[in-house]
Amino acid sequence: MTASLLLLLAALAGAPLFAVIAASALLGFSREEVDLSVVAIEIYRLAEMPVLLAIPLFTFAGYVLGESQAPGRLVRLTNALLGWLSGGLAIVSLAACALFTAFTGASGVTIVALGALLYPALREAHYPERFSLGLITTSGSLGLLFAPALPLILYGVVAQQMNLDPPVKIDDLFAAGLIPGLLMVVLLSLYSMWRVRGVARTGAAFSAREAWAAVRESAWEIPLPVVVLGGIYGGVFALSEAAAVTALYVLIVEVVIRREIPLRQVPAVMRESMVLVGAILIILGVSLASTNYLIDTEVPTQLFEMIRARIDSKLTFLILLNVFLLALGMMLDIFSALVIVVPIILPIAIGYGIHPVHLGIIFLANMQIGYITPPVGMNLFISSYRFRRNVLDVYRATVPFFVILLLTVLVITYWPALSLFLVGD
Amino acid sequence: MSDPVRQGGLARAIHLLHRVEDTILALLLGAMILLAPLQIFLRVFFDAGLTWADPMIRVLVLWVGMFGAISASRGDRHITVDVFPRLLPGRARAAASVAVHLFTVTICGLLAWHSWRFVQSEREFGDVAFLGVPTWILQSVLPFAFAMIALRYALGTFPQAAVLLGLREPEEPEALS
Repeated sequence: MTASLLLLLAALAGAPLFAVIAASALLGFSREEVDLSVVAIEIYRLAEMPVLLAIPLFTFAGYVLGESQAPGRLVRLTNALLGWLSGGLAIVSLAACALFTAFTGASGVTIVALGALLYPALREAHYPERFSLGLITTSGSLGLLFAPALPLILYGVVAQQMNLDPPVKIDDLFAAGLIPGLLMVVLLSLYSMWRVRGVARTGAAFSAREAWAAVRESAWEIPLPVVVLGGIYGGVFALSEAAAVTALYVLIVEVVIRREIPLRQVPAVMRESMVLVGAILIILGVSLASTNYLIDTEVPTQLFEMIRARIDSKLTFLILLNVFLLALGMMLDIFSALVIVVPIILPIAIGYGIHPVHLGIIFLANMQIGYITPPVGMNLFISSYRFRRNVLDVYRATVPFFVILLLTVLVITYWPALSLFLVGD
Repeated sequence: MSDPVRQGGLARAIHLLHRVEDTILALLLGAMILLAPLQIFLRVFFDAGLTWADPMIRVLVLWVGMFGAISASRGDRHITVDVFPRLLPGRARAAASVAVHLFTVTICGLLAWHSWRFVQSEREFGDVAFLGVPTWILQSVLPFAFAMIALRYALGTFPQAAVLLGLREPEEPEALS
């Protein structure tokens, strides 16, 4: 107990989370008098999971896209297609950010890469300042329910360590995220249209000519979502294959064909992206050890018994789960939250009759809100820093979007069919 | 690494080390980016494949991850909960940072030692992974990476310890970027 408190203190004092998790695994195994080289054996299992290949490859592809001029082309294209709607530019922002985040994996890259283009554009089109700020801050984490977003993959990987029967399939998670993710985008779009009615119009009517020009400009990138999403959702590609094709294709297009990233800059982009991948994989590695210890000692089962004795309705459990996950999402980034918390709550949730795939969607939807939950949601700070606005202004600007996303999360939580509808059995 | 104390030879050595790290990382990732599509190509068009490629790609994931983790420890870029240290005043923040660094050094040291023992036992076992490469060589990235990370955090202790001892002014927490 004392040891656990000390570890918690170390985490709060800012210790790298992989070291905290490793410490808990080392402590646990030494208490059980198991040889501690078991921790190394568990970490080495990173080399035994073919699906993990998708993590470095998609991350690298996302960073290359972010470094190239692709974000600008994406904005132009969505604007040509959707900009003529009332509130069109707001919808453009939501759609472009969601697509971009799905590919880059929600690490704050979206606000930096796309926000810098969209925010000035929104202001120029006379969208209210506060609305624009809130919209961009919120859009930064939108899209992590769509394939091939890293958090979905990571949830699948972690859940597969739990030896469930039947195992959680990543393809199922991709299918399950689709409608809840769209619900978020649609509700936020409707709110935006209502909010800026009369205030702002981009003015330009739909122009087939501009649309065609934008399509031609993005001709090299358009196949990407089609091939990747079509391939994965259609079952043509395995996930790691889609990642392999994407990484090589993006590298060739942006470096060799378009030459937007000089060849000598490629190692720097590789390093930048692999810092994130290393930080995620080392946490995953040590948590394989700590999860193994948790399962060995039946901690989740005991926790379940304990909670079960106090809460017997599924509904109450779900409400508590939402509150817990919102608080968690505020404190922890999505990747560490996944590897630390999922092994504990998944067995408990299953005990309450919640489908593991549905739990994944609930988990990620809550975490997404965590990015913009005051006072410490990460995107609030990134936005405040990036657009040089007081963080209190950012809080105020984000509130209406926060409320809408919260409503969506409640719908997602209490209506399992919304997520499970597309999941084939 | 703009510390004025580290000038000349040492600074150059550190710079060189970073270059070597970045190059290794780029080579590992480059190999992965080429090998993975090659396997798909061979399978789709020739219904064939290199038997050693799949296990090698999986090991590359581990190596890229561990070298990425070494890279992340350069400049303290591992994932942390950094809300509370930001709220502390200068000296207290330095104290927390020193404690956190020492904690990380200890844990990584232990991980390096126990993974070294793991590699040793594997070496006695004498398994071969692919292309005649013994498994223990592939596993040795673990003790190496943890030792490197421990070293990085050990060196990282000094600037904050200097603040704690009043030899340096505390820095403002870095802005998020």
